[in-house]
Amino acid sequence: MPRYAQLVIGPAGSGKSTYCQNVYQHCQSIKRTVHVVNLDPAADHFEYPVSVDIRELISLEDVMEELKLGPNGGLIYCMEYLEENLEDWFSEQMEDYIDDDYLIFDCPGQIELYSHIPVLRTFVDQLKRWDFNVCAVYMLDSQFVSDVTKYISGCMASLSAMVQLELPHINVLSKIDLLPSKRDLDKFLDPDARLLLGDLNQQMAPRFARLNQALAELVDDYSMVNFLPLDITDEDSIQFVLSHIDNAIQYGEDAEPKARDHDPDGDDGGGF
Amino acid sequence: MEIGDFQAPSPMQESENAVSESSKNSSEGSAEPFGSSGRPTVIARKKPIVVIVIGMAGSGKTTLMHRLVAHVQTARKRGYVLNLDPAVTSLPYTANIDIRDTVNYKNVMKEYHLGPNGGILTSLNLFATKFDEVVNLVERREGELDYVLVDTPGQIEIFTWSASGSIITEAFASTFPTVVCYVVDTPRSLSPVTFMSNMLYACGILYKTRLPLLLAFNKVDVAQHQFALEWMDDFEAFQAAVENDSSYSSGLSRSLCLVLDEFYRNLRNVGVSAVTGVGMVDFFAKLDESGTEYMQTYWVELERRRAEKELRDTERQQANLAALQRDLAESNGQKVVLSTTRQMEERNTEEEEVEEEEEEEEEYSENDLDEEESTEMFREMGGRL
Repeated sequence: MPRYAQLVIGPAGSGKSTYCQNVYQHCQSIKRTVHVVNLDPAADHFEYPVSVDIRELISLEDVMEELKLGPNGGLIYCMEYLEENLEDWFSEQMEDYIDDDYLIFDCPGQIELYSHIPVLRTFVDQLKRWDFNVCAVYMLDSQFVSDVTKYISGCMASLSAMVQLELPHINVLSKIDLLPSKRDLDKFLDPDARLLLGDLNQQMAPRFARLNQALAELVDDYSMVNFLPLDITDEDSIQFVLSHIDNAIQYGEDAEPKARDHDPDGDDGGGF
Repeated sequence: MEIGDFQAPSPMQESENAVSESSKNSSEGSAEPFGSSGRPTVIARKKPIVVIVIGMAGSGKTTLMHRLVAHVQTARKRGYVLNLDPAVTSLPYTANIDIRDTVNYKNVMKEYHLGPNGGILTSLNLFATKFDEVVNLVERREGELDYVLVDTPGQIEIFTWSASGSIITEAFASTFPTVVCYVVDTPRSLSPVTFMSNMLYACGILYKTRLPLLLAFNKVDVAQHQFALEWMDDFEAFQAAVENDSSYSSGLSRSLCLVLDEFYRNLRNVGVSAVTGVGMVDFFAKLDESGTEYMQTYWVELERRRAEKELRDTERQQANLAALQRDLAESNGQKVVLSTTRQMEERNTEEEEVEEEEEEEEEYSENDLDEEESTEMFREMGGRL
């Protein structure tokens, strides 16, 4: 029986930790078991219970202090340390999670960890060897996607991480609740290649026409570049994103009915 | 964002040392008149080219900056140097303007209870609120300068995916010919998929900034960038290499390679070694070309956007005036309580967003002369901190 994992990635401040906290709470409310794993050695304070925390193994603060490294050097050191201890420390922590459990990994933001340093790829490969179905959830702050060129920029940043991880991939535009007008986002959530191309050609200099064309085609042909909206204050919005991710990792398809799901006195919603 | 009890950044400090020798000998030209709007409508004299050095952490930005500064001096060009990395412990070069003189990143961390990344980002945010002063300082010297070199924070996303990074970039781009130099860690980009990942990210930066992009393949003393040039030149070869290196469907890898193939046509590249100094002449030649491209394309575009905005503002003012006259007529001279804001919003639904952002913009823009510029850049960048 496979285990399931979400790898929550994206730039600093995009709302990864908030997402993890809210998904955890949401799942609690629908009586679903998920475990959050913190993989960010620079993380500070958690509002939600964390089942496994990299800071028990190594923390950025300690590394920076003891090895006199800067924030970047320190982070890379921590992640490489994790990579070295995947077999020992990490697999021990993972053994506690029986089949059919669902893990959410809150990852550090820095794109450098996905593009140049193999550590996260190695981590993902190890998860797969342990029979995890993994999905990458790329989080982007919707407030930055204010026009078509920034939307393309967001797609590129996401793709940049995605090509390295080679995982099913869901992009999320977070903090929808903070936008003054949600209307403008619609064209990015359900992009029409022709409209997109028209907008791009208007915003970019004429010499970019062919590049705009290639990008519009990419967006059109591959839904993996598309974004889902997330309003963290709205349970339905959280469930919507969760359902997409579950679908990507085929969660629930192998599930067997559990005894506790039956409520003989209540309304089952169907004849049995 | 609130600055609160935190001591406001001290006024811009400048170091005279790094400005090239030759500039000290040139005469201090009197400030040329720019016209009432404060913006030159015709470039009366040559402006310095601003180059913003961006790259992944460890790609060698700061070392490259050092090399660029040194070359500017040996080539008897006139340079001005800015450091925007608040967390760097020691710089190998002397900066004219250094964010560390104005914002103390460790204090920021303590004051706001932040981790190191939060501290760097907040430091940059604080500096960005005073950035019009920086631009003014550079503007005052622009007749004496050929290049303005800007070093950015270690981790790329602190600059590329932050409001302050956008504000700073746009502040330069709306005043000077500005070029983004994307530093590539050549030895680390040897695998086709890693190279692709890096190039896709660079493409994102091109779209985000809409400025000329100069790819600097750094560390060519460690790994020559010939492979990169071949991949950039030969679409089929690159696609084959990618398919070999990944599990992607040939359809997807082809689409991605196609995007990159077009991307390469829209940038310049140069192989450099910050350590040995190789590639400097080529770098500055391509930088100059990029500066020219800016003036031919982006400046024209910027002027067009400014003109459009002015037109929209005029139209809006006229619409508001007409609405006011209508209300006066309807009320027949009686006193009427106008719920002005709501009525205006109903009539100007399209302008909703612009209004809100202009309100926000007023919080930040202290300099009236820069108001137009600030509005433009906030609107373009959806500026929020």
